[in-house]
Amino acid sequence: MLLIQGKKLSKHFGGLPAVDQVDFGVERGEILGLIGPNGAGKTTLVNVITGVFPATSGQVFFKGEDITNLSPPKAVKLGIARTFQIVQPFPGMTVRENVAIGALFGKGSHEKDIKTAFQDAERWLEFVNLGQYKNAEVNEINISHRKRMDLAKTLAMEPELLMLDEVMAGLNTKDIEEMMALVQQINRELDKTLLVIEHVMKALMGISHRVMVLHHGQKIAEEIPEKIVQDENVIKAYLGERYAKQRAKTA
Amino acid sequence: MVQESKKTIIAFFLICLGLTLFPFLIGGYWLRVATGIMMFATITLALNFIAGFAGYAAFGNVVFMGIGAYTTAILMVKAGIPWWIGIVAGGLLSSLYAVLLGLPILRLRGHYFAIATLGVNEATKQFTLIYRDLTEGGMGITLPLTSLSISAFNNLVYFIMFAILLACFLTSYVVSKNRVGYALRAIRANEDAAQMSGIRTTYYKVLAWALSAFFTGLVGGLYAYWFTFIEPANVFDIMIAVKAFVMMLLGGGGTVLGPVLGAAVLELISELVWGEFLRVHMLIFGAIIVLVILFLPSGMMELFRKRYSLSALLSNLKERSI
Repeated sequence: MLLIQGKKLSKHFGGLPAVDQVDFGVERGEILGLIGPNGAGKTTLVNVITGVFPATSGQVFFKGEDITNLSPPKAVKLGIARTFQIVQPFPGMTVRENVAIGALFGKGSHEKDIKTAFQDAERWLEFVNLGQYKNAEVNEINISHRKRMDLAKTLAMEPELLMLDEVMAGLNTKDIEEMMALVQQINRELDKTLLVIEHVMKALMGISHRVMVLHHGQKIAEEIPEKIVQDENVIKAYLGERYAKQRAKTA
Repeated sequence: MVQESKKTIIAFFLICLGLTLFPFLIGGYWLRVATGIMMFATITLALNFIAGFAGYAAFGNVVFMGIGAYTTAILMVKAGIPWWIGIVAGGLLSSLYAVLLGLPILRLRGHYFAIATLGVNEATKQFTLIYRDLTEGGMGITLPLTSLSISAFNNLVYFIMFAILLACFLTSYVVSKNRVGYALRAIRANEDAAQMSGIRTTYYKVLAWALSAFFTGLVGGLYAYWFTFIEPANVFDIMIAVKAFVMMLLGGGGTVLGPVLGAAVLELISELVWGEFLRVHMLIFGAIIVLVILFLPSGMMELFRKRYSLSALLSNLKERSI
């Protein structure tokens, strides 16, 4: 069953189609990787799904229900959560408070009191292996820790669908491996459905069940990882036409 | 931790007891000064809901003081309604005004919201100047004099002001500890992220402004009853809001005790020293704004929390200059 589905989804900025007639779907329990060159429309697609930008045309369905142009807080209440490409913390608050905000206002949080929210926050911080930094201020922790804090916050929102926008950008090899393991753990143990935008190809290919490729706002491929790396259109989009021709000759 | 909060509660009750006994120990001039301090403490605490917790610089917040004052005055003079009903009505009407205006203008961010509130204040002031049938325009309204003796009246005003301050303080405390407070702090820290974390930002901002308006409106109503004469130029005076801002910054925006502390310190100094030098007053006022922003960007509350030393204060200055 499709947890989230987009039908002919478009978002134009003035005359520029940033997302152009994209059909997509994420199965419940699946990790869908989303790749594409810079400016391909990946983040815009996530922004349209979460209601940050209104769609120019097309529809989004969540569990079969039309949620096109729902406001971000309403999307959260339905069970959709996301991280940002550049981590968006709440400065001036501790790491634990940052995560507690997710627990306080996420899905099914209406009756949650402050104490429970803080307990939830601590549990999620332990889960992402950040427990020791719970009382630190956001400004005091490094980028890798911030990314994990952001992940803990979205988990505290108890979503069914998690959209991760480049959670591995700026991390070193060791941190990337840890993050990959964490994402898989979230998928398998917590039974979450994920849409993962990533530039770190090795990581993305390693964790995705399927990969969707955007180029100039259009979907050019949607396949299992093994086939994506061989796809002519994808190679063209990433490495240019000349390389693709050369490659075809030598092959 | 428990010991600590017990101490705080005892201290709180002792201060309240002291303030209750105050009028019986001291009279006349100092009672007026104390009432004035409480008035500004309430206005500053009220401003703190929107400007401190939520980080929205409502420079035109004095508009609610004007609405409270005019509602009370008009109800008392034109409809013969008792003063206390007038004051409550002033608070409620201010809240309503904040909700109706907040829904459109609280979608603005940063400076734009600040400018919009200035516009709202100016427009409302012009309204009271133009609609003379209702407001007497620039002539101002004289309220009915009380039948109480002067000292009894001063005591009454003191206690009502104290009650409003106490209500505003307790509301601030409750807000700071519950989900509303966290929502507002998240909005101040990062509004986009707050929205993406499931916070209905417009709802919480409007709620904060309505609370802010309610208490400011109550103060405005009591001010009218206290001074028995109001005119647009004094109850819509933008300097009242500016003063409240400085008090909030001085004490610490977004804290519960800070605004009260800032109001008390500034109003006391103002009363003790600068009352003598009317011109220099504004100069020193300006200098305080500059010094607070340079050395104490988070207000005096930070001094208690972090036990600032001189070098720590100087490092604030360095951080700012980078």
